[in-house]
Amino acid sequence: MRIELKREGGIAFLPGLNRPRTFELGDLPPAQAEAITRSVHAASFFQQPSVVGTASKGAADQTRYTLTVEVGGEGAEGGRRHTVQLLEPVQDPHLHALLELLKQAERDLRREAARPHG
Amino acid sequence: MRRVHPGWHRHSLYCILPPYVVRTIAQNGSPAQRAAALRTMAVDNTFRALRLTSAVGAQRVPTRRIGGMMAESQRQRFIYNMGGQEGFPGTLARSEGQGATGDVAVDEAYDGLGATYDFFWEVFGRDSLDDGGMPLNAHVHYGMNYNNAFWDGQRMVFGDGDGDIFNRFTIAMDIIGHELSHGMTEDEGPLMYFRQAGALNESISDIFGSLVKQKFLNQTADQADWLIGAGLLADGVQGKALRSMKDPGTAYDDPVLGKDPQPAHMRDFVRTWEDNGGVHINSSIPNRAFYLASLKLGGCAWEKAGRIWYEALRDMRLRPDCGFARFARITSLCASRLYGEGGTEEAAVVDAWGEVGIKVTREKISVARVPTLKVPAVQPSGRPSA
Ligand SMILES: [Zn+2]
Repeated sequence: MRIELKREGGIAFLPGLNRPRTFELGDLPPAQAEAITRSVHAASFFQQPSVVGTASKGAADQTRYTLTVEVGGEGAEGGRRHTVQLLEPVQDPHLHALLELLKQAERDLRREAARPHG
Repeated sequence: MRRVHPGWHRHSLYCILPPYVVRTIAQNGSPAQRAAALRTMAVDNTFRALRLTSAVGAQRVPTRRIGGMMAESQRQRFIYNMGGQEGFPGTLARSEGQGATGDVAVDEAYDGLGATYDFFWEVFGRDSLDDGGMPLNAHVHYGMNYNNAFWDGQRMVFGDGDGDIFNRFTIAMDIIGHELSHGMTEDEGPLMYFRQAGALNESISDIFGSLVKQKFLNQTADQADWLIGAGLLADGVQGKALRSMKDPGTAYDDPVLGKDPQPAHMRDFVRTWEDNGGVHINSSIPNRAFYLASLKLGGCAWEKAGRIWYEALRDMRLRPDCGFARFARITSLCASRLYGEGGTEEAAVVDAWGEVGIKVTREKISVARVPTLKVPAVQPSGRPSA
């Protein structure tokens, strides 16, 4: 499974944080990958509409997340690909949990990249 | 957020007199302040009256402004602790008049809301975001490691930051002022949150956010740092703030954040579909025009430049889809209305816009269209609709 997380909006346009980030679950620590996979299913991700949440009148600086989940050729869900845009605050608890897991994975990768190698 | 009092009889004089003028006179006794208030009153009447009489339906008739006749401030602050959750409202942690809680984010939000309220009250005689005493609600400790602050149309929301990139978002008073100013813009403008109008919306929040801080620190225009979000970037991040109104494009240059993309001049205007059409990118162009006008006008930026921009925001010629050039014209018209036609103030404003590549033309702006829309009928594509 491959997941792309793209962040847009927020109080500033920060080019480095605005770039889409792709997670190959196979490259993540197994426990983390498993938690994310479970979360995708718990959220019924493939049944979600393409936009979740509404922009309220006069709102500003809110973040919008675009999640794309792609499943490889094997299995019941093989070859599927779906994109959901989440507008915060994300009310659906399962989608919220999925988003949090992805943000955590992103943070972990960033911290790892920042560490002096060795 | 607009409070309606059906059956209120509005005295015709109150409809025309900007209430902040009355309050300013009532509040400040010095001759200079009285003179300034009277000058404002003299020039503002026509436009305020025009706006009121031409408002289609009752939508723009501000019954709320009657409440503004009071000469005392009516701060009503409520700070909620979200405790890392995202479901509003959280727990009420501090309300108006209560002492410090010891929770830094709660207390910073309380103080920042107070400074913002006081700024608009003392400088413009404006009673809260709607000029009708609207309570100010802030929600802190939103989410886990949450890297943002936003205005959701009713309330301010602040994350704690992840500590890697961002510190807590209440740390910068101009950020608090920025979020609150979005509420004021929505009430006065509104300006669509898209492309140039959205960049103006953002710029107005940066301008008044910065002025809140400058007034709190009692700084003149040349003493101020003109940064938005100083102190917000975590240790180790290569940068000093989110934006620089003075030198756009120089706020940060960091391996994780990338490089500050803000242009300093129209020739570098960024065309993009991202960020609602670059609202947080191109806002630097009107930001810098304001900074340059403030320097030219001298003294404290809120005294003249701030007043001119505030009047422009309230000007009936400001349409929801206003672009930079039109806004520049409105500011120059407001400068001449407030300080005299062909005066140094008008020249300073025109020159400032010229320096960022926006030529202010002398032609009149049509007043035929009245901005009665609160929300564009069709949501721009950059923002998902309901
Ligand atoms: Zn903003």
